[in-house]
Amino acid sequence: MTRFTMEEVSWEPRIPPVEAESATPEQLAALEACPPAQRRSTYFLTLAQDPASLGERGALFNNVMYAARGLPRAERELATTVVSIVNGCIYCTSVHARRFAELTREPAEMQRLLEEGIGTDLSPRRRAIVDFAAKLTAEPGAIGAADLKPLREAGLDDLEVLDLIHSIAMFANANRLMQSLGRSIAP
Amino acid sequence: MAEDDLIERLLGIEPGSPLAALRLQREAIRRHAQGAWRELVLPETPGGVSHAERAALALFVAQRGGDAALIAECRTILATTGTPPAGPRTELLVRYAEMVAEAPECCGQADIDALAAQGMSPQDIVAVTQLIAFVPFQIRLLAGLRAMQEEQAA
Repeated sequence: MTRFTMEEVSWEPRIPPVEAESATPEQLAALEACPPAQRRSTYFLTLAQDPASLGERGALFNNVMYAARGLPRAERELATTVVSIVNGCIYCTSVHARRFAELTREPAEMQRLLEEGIGTDLSPRRRAIVDFAAKLTAEPGAIGAADLKPLREAGLDDLEVLDLIHSIAMFANANRLMQSLGRSIAP
Repeated sequence: MAEDDLIERLLGIEPGSPLAALRLQREAIRRHAQGAWRELVLPETPGGVSHAERAALALFVAQRGGDAALIAECRTILATTGTPPAGPRTELLVRYAEMVAEAPECCGQADIDALAAQGMSPQDIVAVTQLIAFVPFQIRLLAGLRAMQEEQAA
């Protein structure tokens, strides 16, 4: 049985989150930089305890995941799901697996990946993205031009490769924040 | 003068080069990655986590990640801030950094409570965790961009 799921997983912080009603102007401004749908989540309200880092990091995250053009959003979600699986973050995996399923309307494909693992059968383009995401996550020091070749053969252009690198790197960060400042609670 | 861009400086990405132009297509990401580093390591108001502690933690995580250029940068910053005083608080921060960087799934309530018991506020705890978790982002961004440089040079 896999520990990963596409169902809603909740997240419980280990320090008190900021309360939206009593937030300082600095905390509110930092939250404004975060993705609109998530800026009142417990997770972002917890990060709002340090508004200076959240303002920059929230804007960074928002652009990495949602900037127009470049790597299709579903493929950013695929990459961040794979990073989250490799890092063992059940909460992040559930969120981004669900977004992939919503964007592609291929929930069965994602369910198979969660159950069989990242080695499951995939199209060549998805295979190349998944392999690169897993290796850059686990062995950043071993990445070289040869690792880009399967991505290029699958048709990724420069901006798509850059977006992929950003997505993978962002979740080296997100998974660590999520796992240390709180815990995932399975459905 | 434009703000220093750590990533481009460490990689030797020249202004006007193809990789610099590509990064400008994601100007907001470039700017906020630099901004996050500034706010985490050298914030104007460091609050309850000193500049020396911040620099020492960044160096520690960079060393665990093995990125020579980033290690050298962190050493330079640490030389300007000075090292944090030896003692239980610094030891605890380094142990916490090791856990968050290498095995975050092992973190528990007791680890966070231990930081609070050293007098760290929720803001301080979020700040150090953000800092420790940001260095793994940089390490992977540097590694990915280096692969693109290598590809272009071939």
